[in-house]
Amino acid sequence: MIGYIHSFESLAALDGGGLRFAVFLSACPMRCAYCHNPDTWDKGSAALKMTPEELVKKASRYKPYFKNGGGVTFVGGEPLVQADFIAETVPLLREAGISYVVDTSGAVELTESVKYVLSSAERVLLDLKFWDEESYIKYTKQGMDKVLKTLDFLESIGKKTVIRTVVIPDINDSEEIIEKYLPYVRDKKCVERYELLAFHTMGFFKYEKLGIENPFADKIALDKAKKDELQAFVDKKLDK
Amino acid sequence: MNNCWRAFKDGNWTKEIDVSNFIKLNYTPYEGGADFLEGTTVRTDAVMTRVNDLLVEENEKGGVLKIDTDHVSSILSHRPGYIIKSKDIILGLQTDEPLKRAVNPFAGYRNAVQACQAYGYEIGDNVHNEFKYRTTHNTGVFRAYTDTMKKARHAGVLTGLPDAYGRGRIIGDYRRIALYGMEYLINERVKDKKRISERDMDAETIQLVEDIEKQLDFMRQLVEMAAQHGCDINRPAENAYEAIQWLYFGYLGAVKEQNGAANSIGRISSFIDIYIQRDIDEGTLDEIHAQELIDDLVIKMRLVRHLRTPEYNNLFAGDPVWVTCSLAGMCEDGRTMVTRTCYRFLQTLYNLGPSAEPNITVLWSKDLPESFKRFCAKVSIDTDSIQYENDDVMRRDFGDDYSIACCVSAMKTGKQMQFFGARCNLAKVLLMALNGGRDEIHGEQIAPEGETFAEDVLDYDKVITAFKSYASWMAKLYVNTMNVIHYMHDKYAYERLMMSLHDVEPGRLMAFGISGLSVLTDSLSAIKYAKVTPVKDERGLIVDFKTEGEFPKYGNDDDRVDSIAKWVTEFFYNELCKTKTYRGAKHTLSILTITSNVVYGQKTGSTPDGRRAGEPFAPGANPMHGRDSEGALSSLNSVAKICYECCQDGISNTFSITPDTLGENEENQIENLVNVLDGYFAQDAHHLNVNVLNRQKLIDAMNDPTLYPSLTIRVSGYAVNFNKLTKDKQLEVIARTFHEKM
Repeated sequence: MIGYIHSFESLAALDGGGLRFAVFLSACPMRCAYCHNPDTWDKGSAALKMTPEELVKKASRYKPYFKNGGGVTFVGGEPLVQADFIAETVPLLREAGISYVVDTSGAVELTESVKYVLSSAERVLLDLKFWDEESYIKYTKQGMDKVLKTLDFLESIGKKTVIRTVVIPDINDSEEIIEKYLPYVRDKKCVERYELLAFHTMGFFKYEKLGIENPFADKIALDKAKKDELQAFVDKKLDK
Repeated sequence: MNNCWRAFKDGNWTKEIDVSNFIKLNYTPYEGGADFLEGTTVRTDAVMTRVNDLLVEENEKGGVLKIDTDHVSSILSHRPGYIIKSKDIILGLQTDEPLKRAVNPFAGYRNAVQACQAYGYEIGDNVHNEFKYRTTHNTGVFRAYTDTMKKARHAGVLTGLPDAYGRGRIIGDYRRIALYGMEYLINERVKDKKRISERDMDAETIQLVEDIEKQLDFMRQLVEMAAQHGCDINRPAENAYEAIQWLYFGYLGAVKEQNGAANSIGRISSFIDIYIQRDIDEGTLDEIHAQELIDDLVIKMRLVRHLRTPEYNNLFAGDPVWVTCSLAGMCEDGRTMVTRTCYRFLQTLYNLGPSAEPNITVLWSKDLPESFKRFCAKVSIDTDSIQYENDDVMRRDFGDDYSIACCVSAMKTGKQMQFFGARCNLAKVLLMALNGGRDEIHGEQIAPEGETFAEDVLDYDKVITAFKSYASWMAKLYVNTMNVIHYMHDKYAYERLMMSLHDVEPGRLMAFGISGLSVLTDSLSAIKYAKVTPVKDERGLIVDFKTEGEFPKYGNDDDRVDSIAKWVTEFFYNELCKTKTYRGAKHTLSILTITSNVVYGQKTGSTPDGRRAGEPFAPGANPMHGRDSEGALSSLNSVAKICYECCQDGISNTFSITPDTLGENEENQIENLVNVLDGYFAQDAHHLNVNVLNRQKLIDAMNDPTLYPSLTIRVSGYAVNFNKLTKDKQLEVIARTFHEKM
């Protein structure tokens, strides 16, 4: 089995999760308007093709840094598009004593491989990108149904989950809109945290480089203070 | 000595000079947190206000406040000076006024004259007359230099040689003064002389006997200097204040006598801690006043200055003195050497503000107490003022009482000294090998004539054969050049006081250096894995390369290329070892460039890795900027592969990361930085300079220096005030890799 890998980031810090070796897997079913990694959309974007053994050998080089919960993070693209590859990698990671996290949009079929990869993960980071079916289709070109099924699955197996939403100026940067996300999250026991991320423009150059239209080209980065304010609102509402 | 040594446990140290034994028997390891630390006193604030005013004034005057052009700097050359006479606790300045610089022409007279002129001064008549008939170190060296040595120096393939300034990097064991008092030390040295004089009087013995007599002269002068400040250092120190004052007098005498490139103070914190702890136990000192003593010592360390030429500043930017102060580490018996006073030294960065000096160096071990690791990380994140070196690796070779001189040079305190050897530009040696021994810029034949490579795709094996042959020739020339320099330095600018605070026959290290490691490594990788074709000019010199195809680059944890870096260092070290050194010194090697990576780059033509002629090298052992594409840890893993055994003078790595990349909040940043350090050093890596800051902050500071007047950054084994760097150095620092998340 071969994994299609776009790139690596050897120091990816995830709050509370220690130091992480991020594996950016190529291909994504979504086309999010705010995507900062449009260069990972196609499987053909993969710079590297690796076997599970090769990948684990590489990840093992970072073991000295993996304390306080550090390990591998599968990200993309949408890493679960290559769930079969990750599924073959999981036992090898386990053998090497390395835990992993999956950073997913959740917009995938719950195949056996996907379920296995999610079940074996240390933690899952699940995007809740928009607040309803309509906005999902508008901004990601995909529906919300699969995302919610993935969340239900995580709840059913009690997997530690962090839900994340990117806050975008003039789209969802108000308490009114953000409140619409909360019903999906509120009663889920698996959710450790609901985390807001600030929209940034650091991926814009990639659109230009790739020659694809950037739907949010006229947007500016979200002010961090604004994000913090909304995070406080969310924390209060969720009583966290 | 009875009262001075009250409450101390006896041991070998009471029978002979053995400070390490004293420390181990008497220190109190500290595993707790930073919560006991105190802020400043009103007195300290008043002194710091005066110091800050003086620093602003110094800066406004172009970096030099005042020069005394009439007196040659020496131990007794100036009457005592004060910051505020009624408020100074730890007494003594290099001259009679703070920040006033003295001239010190012993290593090179012309240099001293030029340094004065650069700041609008002329050297005084009496100094001029004194040095008219005196041979300086510089004169001596040039008498003995061969034509080839001069050519290699001129071409910039051997650069930064200490042939016109003091060699530095020697650390007196200043603690001995506090523990034993000068009378005992002088008597011991007299006995040493008597014993050694019984040997056959060969050149070696005669030199040693003369050295001892020079030492004794300066030991007595030091006693006199202290007496001028109202202190009797003939006897040992009786309390913490005296212990700090006595050892500072030793250091002060050394920097009055010598203007060496690096004047480090050694490993003093846990020694001082023993005295502070005794005073606290006896109820004569409390924490706030203990901190005040350390603050006042550090203020003095921050004011040390030497007079330098602009050319010197070009090599070593930011006016550094390398008052390197080594903290922490582990004891060989398994106890941590962290004491409360290690914390107190770090606390000065909060109490007095961030600062480039003293060059605070944490000797990192996996076994250091977690709370201390976390405090260090916090201080790094807040101040960018400290560096880390791997105690677990150094302790194997240097035991548990070594100190760091300059940036990364370990030596057993008081038991080893170093002959500082600058560095050889190995990227240039490759170009020289391709050009049959000619310099690639002005075409001069420097090394023996060989075949110039044709304008065909370079064959890796042939290039390696040529490189080995020229590197081997260069290694021999390099050792011989060093021998000349240090013979003359011993003869004309011997460090009398510093050497008196060593064992009488110390171990000697001759510290060679490599620059351009990453450029050379990537160039060889390009030749091996891509297609590299030389381009010649009308003189038939290879001045450029056409490089086609991809090649692995150093800094991505890729063994295909990292193994080249590892091989080059091992090969060059072994070649150096083939030539005998002056005074039987042990060969050591460093990969450290200070800030001279910019100058070396200027003197080096285009290289096969795609670097254009004149562009800066990466500093030290760092991968080239922007070529480490897999992030911070991958870059660290590459550097960690270079083996310390053949680079015992240090492998310098400077690491800049944005706060957001390191973690979302302070707590995570601290935890992750500790993980970075633990992970890097667990692989036997040697050194890490840590900067946690945003590139934008540096750009803002460059455009408006008043925004961040005390912005301190680690550059290459030392820290600088960013505003003291020239524009080209600032730009180079800004161009360096900042590990940043997307």
